[in-house]
Amino acid sequence: RAMHVPSAGSGPTGLRFLGQEEAQAIDQELFTEYQFSVDQLMELAGLSCATAIAKAYPPSSFTTSQPAVLVVCGPGNNGGDGLVCARHLKMFGYQPTVYYPKRPSKPLFESLTTQCKKMDIPFLPEFPAEAAFIDELYGLVVDAIFGFSFKGAVREPFGSILSTLERVTVPIASIDIPSGWDVEKGKTDGLQPDMLISLTAPKKAAMHFTGRYHFLGGRFVPPALQEKYALNLPAYPSTDCVLQLT
Amino acid sequence: QAFPLPSLPRKQPTVLVVCGPAQNGAIGLVCARHLRSFDYEPTIFYPKRSPDPLYRDFTTQCEKMDIPFLSYLPTEVQLINDAYNAVVDAVLGAEAEVAEGTEPCAAILATLKHIRIPIVSLDVPSGWDTEAGGSGGISPDVLVSLAAPKECARRFGGRQHFVAGRFLPYDVQRKFELNPPEYPGTECVVAL
Repeated sequence: RAMHVPSAGSGPTGLRFLGQEEAQAIDQELFTEYQFSVDQLMELAGLSCATAIAKAYPPSSFTTSQPAVLVVCGPGNNGGDGLVCARHLKMFGYQPTVYYPKRPSKPLFESLTTQCKKMDIPFLPEFPAEAAFIDELYGLVVDAIFGFSFKGAVREPFGSILSTLERVTVPIASIDIPSGWDVEKGKTDGLQPDMLISLTAPKKAAMHFTGRYHFLGGRFVPPALQEKYALNLPAYPSTDCVLQLT
Repeated sequence: QAFPLPSLPRKQPTVLVVCGPAQNGAIGLVCARHLRSFDYEPTIFYPKRSPDPLYRDFTTQCEKMDIPFLSYLPTEVQLINDAYNAVVDAVLGAEAEVAEGTEPCAAILATLKHIRIPIVSLDVPSGWDTEAGGSGGISPDVLVSLAAPKECARRFGGRQHFVAGRFLPYDVQRKFELNPPEYPGTECVVAL
C-alpha cells in the first residue's frame, strides 16, 4: 500500500492535524481492515473524554453544590461518544444530566441510552431555555453534538442549542470538534469551548482552538496505522488513555 | 501497574499471554492489545480459537497490531522463563468446569505449573475450582478479579490482588451486595 503523504497541517512536534477526508479514511480503516467494532472504539473514546474532563475539572473544583455536568448529545456517533462519556463521568463521581433530542433507532444507541438510565443519569425532556439557567445548574457542559463527519448546515434543534451554548459562561468541553465548526477551517463566530478532546488525532479545526485545555484521546490506533498516515502522535504517559497537548 | 515497564528484568518488555478457548481467552486477547499500546511486547498462545465472530475480530485486531501468535507452547519450561518477563493466564475463567481436563488446556496448565516467572491470572487462576480454590494448581503472583472477586480468591496467596469492576452499575452492586472498594481517581482497577 502506498505511503500516505503528510499534508500541510503540522504542529510544533510534528503532530499532524487531519483533514476531514483523512479522518474519515482512518476511521473506515479501523473498522474494515482492523476489524474494530464501533462499540469498542466508542467505549474507549467516551472513556477518554471522561478521563480528560476529570483531569482538567476535578469534582472538587466545581462551585455548584454538586459536580453537575450537562452532556448535550447529537444525532450521530459524536452523540454516542457523549453517552459513554456521561456514564463514565457518573462513575468518576460527577452528576451528569443528558440532553439527547434526536436518537438514532439503532441498537448501539438504544443500549447506550439504557446503560445511562440504569446508572440513574437523568435525560432532560427539554433544553434549558436560557444560557443563564445552564450557568446556574451546571459547572460544565459537554458538547457531544457534531463530530468529524459534520458538513453543511446545522439542522434544528441544534441551531438553537448552539446559539444558547455560545452564550453560556461555564466551561464547555467539546468532543473531537467544537460543534458547528467547519472540521478543517473552524468558525470564528461559533462555539468557543474551554476544552477540546481530539480523538485518534487532532483535526485541522483544532489549529483554531483557543481554549485552555487540548487533550488527545482514543489510545487505540495501531502502530501500523499511525505510520501509514504519519500521525506522529506523541507518547501517552504510562497507561493513561489521554494525553494533554496544551 | 503490577509490572511497570522500568521494573522488568529482561531487556525487552516481553509478556506471554496464554488464551483459552472461551471468554477468558477473549479477554486475554483484548489485554494483549492494550499491553501493546502500553509499549509492552506481548506474544500470544491461542491454540483453540473460538468461532465467535466478536472473538475472531479480537484475534484480527491483535494480528494487525503486529502481536505474534505462537504455534506451540514450549514444554521446556526454561525457554518460557528465559524469553518472557511474565505470563498472563487467560486460559480458564469462572465458567470452566469441563474444559480444564481436556486438551490443550490440561497440557498448558501442566507447563504453567512449573514456570518461575510471575503469572497474572485473569479472574480465576486457571484450573482452580471457582469456589473451592485449588491445590496443586498454578500459583499466580497477581490476580485480577473481573467485576467482583470469586470465592476461590480467598485462597489466593500471591503478591497483588486487583479488582476490575468499576463498570458495574450501582443497582447490580447493591443487588449482589458487592460492597466494592473505592476506585482511586479515574483508575479502572483497585488493588485490594
